[in-house]
Amino acid sequence: MLTTALIVLPFAGALIVWALPWQTVRAAGGFALLVALAELFLWVVAVRNTDFASGVLQHDVETVWFADLDAAYKVGLYDFSLWLVGLTALVTVTAIAYGMWVGRARPRAYFGLLLFLAGATVGVFTAQDLLLFYVFFEAMLIPLYVLIGVWGGTRRHAATVKFVIYTLAGSLLMLVAIISLGLERGTFDMTRLGESGSTWIFLGFVVAFAVKAPIWPFHGWLPDAYREAPAEVSALLSGVVSKTAAYGLLRIVLPAFPDPVVDLRWLVLGAAAIGLVYASLLAFRAPDVRGVIAYSSLAQMCLIVIGLMAVNNSGLEGALLQMVNHGLISAALFLLAGAIERRTAGARLELLGGMARGRPRLATLLITVGVIALAVPLSTAFAAEFLILNGIFERGWGWALVGAGAIVLAAMYMLRLISGVLHEEVGPAVHAHALDLRPVEVAVVGALTVTLVALSFWPAAITDHAFADRPERAIETQFARGAR
Amino acid sequence: MTPAAWVALFAPAAAVVMIALAGHRITGRAAGVIASGATLVSFVATVVTFALLLRRHEEERSDASTLFTWLSAGDFRVGFEIVVDPLSVFMMLVVSGVGFLILSYAVGYMATDDEERRYHAYKALFVFSMLLLVQAGNLLLLLAGWGMVGLSSYLLINFWHRRRSAVGAGKKAFIMNAVGDATFALALFILIQQTGALSFAPVFGRAELMSDTLATLVALGLLGGAVAKSAQVPLHTWLPDAMEGPTPVSALIHAATMVTAGVYLIARTAPLFELAPEVHDLAAVLGGVTIVLAGLIALVQTDIKRVIAYSTMSQIGYMFVGAGLGAYGAGLFHLMTHAFFKALLFMAAGIVIHALAGEQDIRRMGGLGRELPWTYRFMLVGAFALAAVPPFAGFFSKDAILASAANSGTLGWILWGLAAVGAFLTALYTFRMLFVVFGRDVSAYAREHLHRERFEGPLAMVWPVAILAVLSLVGGFLQVPGLWHAVDHWIEPVAESIEEASGGTAVFSAVAALALALAGIALAWMLYRRPTYGPERARRAAPWAARTLEQKFFFDEAYDLALYEPASHTASGLYRFVEAPLVLASLGDIGATVRGAGRRLAAVQTGVVRSYALAVAVGLAVLAIAFVIAS
Repeated sequence: MLTTALIVLPFAGALIVWALPWQTVRAAGGFALLVALAELFLWVVAVRNTDFASGVLQHDVETVWFADLDAAYKVGLYDFSLWLVGLTALVTVTAIAYGMWVGRARPRAYFGLLLFLAGATVGVFTAQDLLLFYVFFEAMLIPLYVLIGVWGGTRRHAATVKFVIYTLAGSLLMLVAIISLGLERGTFDMTRLGESGSTWIFLGFVVAFAVKAPIWPFHGWLPDAYREAPAEVSALLSGVVSKTAAYGLLRIVLPAFPDPVVDLRWLVLGAAAIGLVYASLLAFRAPDVRGVIAYSSLAQMCLIVIGLMAVNNSGLEGALLQMVNHGLISAALFLLAGAIERRTAGARLELLGGMARGRPRLATLLITVGVIALAVPLSTAFAAEFLILNGIFERGWGWALVGAGAIVLAAMYMLRLISGVLHEEVGPAVHAHALDLRPVEVAVVGALTVTLVALSFWPAAITDHAFADRPERAIETQFARGAR
Repeated sequence: MTPAAWVALFAPAAAVVMIALAGHRITGRAAGVIASGATLVSFVATVVTFALLLRRHEEERSDASTLFTWLSAGDFRVGFEIVVDPLSVFMMLVVSGVGFLILSYAVGYMATDDEERRYHAYKALFVFSMLLLVQAGNLLLLLAGWGMVGLSSYLLINFWHRRRSAVGAGKKAFIMNAVGDATFALALFILIQQTGALSFAPVFGRAELMSDTLATLVALGLLGGAVAKSAQVPLHTWLPDAMEGPTPVSALIHAATMVTAGVYLIARTAPLFELAPEVHDLAAVLGGVTIVLAGLIALVQTDIKRVIAYSTMSQIGYMFVGAGLGAYGAGLFHLMTHAFFKALLFMAAGIVIHALAGEQDIRRMGGLGRELPWTYRFMLVGAFALAAVPPFAGFFSKDAILASAANSGTLGWILWGLAAVGAFLTALYTFRMLFVVFGRDVSAYAREHLHRERFEGPLAMVWPVAILAVLSLVGGFLQVPGLWHAVDHWIEPVAESIEEASGGTAVFSAVAALALALAGIALAWMLYRRPTYGPERARRAAPWAARTLEQKFFFDEAYDLALYEPASHTASGLYRFVEAPLVLASLGDIGATVRGAGRRLAAVQTGVVRSYALAVAVGLAVLAIAFVIAS
């Protein structure tokens, strides 16, 4: 019931917001914010009622849908999905609060769509039936198309067209893969899939998720979409929605295709490793704030995939931890980018600078999130990247070397971003009287930052409470039982 | 015992949180008092720990304490764990003791800066990070402290962030250290794979089973981290630039504590280095090269802080020679005395800079001995200690390293030679600075800008300097070669030092080094006591040599050419030739193609029923033929 409630609450909230008689930001946004907070509260309830030692599916519900196809409405929570649902709930709260603060036009539609997106994302993280998974996966796209196409920047149409074509192609590929897999296995129940040896179905899933994440070289939609979407939509898109792809690899691909994963590891790892270095280099030369964040996001997704493809304890724990970390980091960075854009005439780095002077809150938050993003040791991102690289090191030294090199590049592009915005002389694009972050902005970005700092203090909060004991074994047994 | 150590660790962290939360509600001075007060708490807690440790029997002087599991993956678990043993307590005493003096000094030094609070918070963050580094009970937490000191250093170097040079220096320091962090992490991956653990005891216990190649790679990875953090050749170029930070930062981070972390790392992981003797020697050789290289560059520097910065590199070179040859006690002893006299030199230089309204160029100074007599005396104590003249502290610790080198075979003697050359250079550049700044006539600039307070500087700045001067004078008697070896003995349970030379060799080593140092002082006296033509003539005689020194042996240029430029060009090239045409344009074109195809298809809609019928018929025929052929 709890899982269903987590899914239905945002959808119901969206319907109510759309039906509200008031057209004001305060009414529509306020109600949406309440719903999002309720969702967060529901998640806390779920955490309190989860047995982290068992490692099996919990809070699950099953209602037969098409008996002939063995397809059902089946949802439930694993320990690791719980963290991603929590990420979704938290980032949604911050996104709605930020949207209210900015005061988006047509608020009923806008905030309703944000809630709809949250509901669909939670659905992806909890669905235990392939067809249901697909439905939620597709349902995420609809609000995104509209959010970018209607509320985006000046080049929103081109960005939307690209985004639609890429994601549609990816989705169709996934539909084909899902149907083939379901027919081959005789069921769409993800908990009873068994193992498949089909390379083609494997590749279908991988490419579909690679478009969504995105992973190099399927990232053509990313720079435009992340630049043109409203800041809080970019935050959701890169922070949360991209994690559905990594989740799909973890939940479907790794357990269902053990042999193809081993045989084609070099292919996926190769793409991810190239993408990691490629994206880090492009982040270093990106001319604007969002460009740096967008390409760093691409690099981070590649790193997460590297951790997943290690398919060992260290790599999997690291990848999961980094999914949560990057969700928080990316959301915080995009919201900060939005705040910076509102205070400047365009966010080209060469025209920015000197914003630290007299704006201690902006400086403190940007530096804190920035250094966590570049994985300074003792941060939770460091913990995750250490585990990921340690995991992949066991599969081959070369991969870890590339990864270690990319971390140096990460320091280069992140420091460039921090200094480009905050330091040296005041840039021509910075309004002289631009204010420091206002209380709402501090609260929104601060909530994400505090979570990151807390996680840095105790990353084992996630790594100790995600796969019962041994993630490796969890994959082998298809999450069917705990490790013990 | 361990509760006191935890207090020592978390007191500065609490100060950071307090200052950050208090914000504008407290004055800058109050923030400074909180930061230095917290460091004093650390120091007192450390002294308590030390006393408790001292009471124990020698073999039982090691204790570990874990608060909680910090990170886990399957069976691999890393605790938030500290270790209390002679080595960590030794470092804690230096870090919190010297740290307290410098933080107190900073209250006076930064009193006029309008972002003083942020500064004091960063300083406290640094002390926490450094204590984490030396107290960490496993290599991952050590690496965490390692990275955090790098972060604090970055934040403090570009503290005056409107200066372009400061921002560049901060980035450079961070990125060079990130390279070291990366090799450090790679070494840890090998250790995890081979030993399944990162806590010191199990790692050292099981490391002996590693193959020689792996042991070498592990030691190389650790050495990479140590060389970057301690600014040794070839990863040294960030340190002189780091002088962009406020002077107390230079004293605390870039002289007394953080940069010596590499020496601590080598001593701490001595069992791993001893498994890879070539790498162990390499550490000593890099140290030896750095001694001479940095000493030469220091001869031509004109910024008072950069002279001291190069001398720091050079002195850490001595420590690397000691630690690399297995004379851990001597290396750490020099680490301690160096912390005293180098902090003293920086802080005395800070008083000079303060009195001259921020001027750092020694060519504009002169004759300050009469104007700032006490500062002159403090500086003189520091200079004698640095130049290793007895009975000042530097003499004993440097002599211990030389004596150990003299007992280490051929390589030892080669390094002894480098160290002896270094002793001459050290004396020369130190007294050059001293004579130029304090001797000669009062310069025009000084006459115009000098402003003095009651005690040559604010009281808060003077008393820590005085204490350090006393320590630089008497600190050396802790260990006297040939007589007693308190430091060697104290850290023996963690890292056993090699025997140093004795008898005639030891006397020769000490006398030769002292003679070279005195020769250096004498030469400086001849050349720089008053303006002479000597330096100018030397410059003209060998312009290429002068240029090489002024360009610091072209390391910066080489790195730009070999690394930065290619990376930058690759990035631009990737964008121009791959990302823009292939990835980004892909769908721009698809959009145009779809529209074009639509337009062409629209032309088919003629509205003439006959042509439609024809098309349908043709289509059916093609399909029918296709089916027939297919079946």
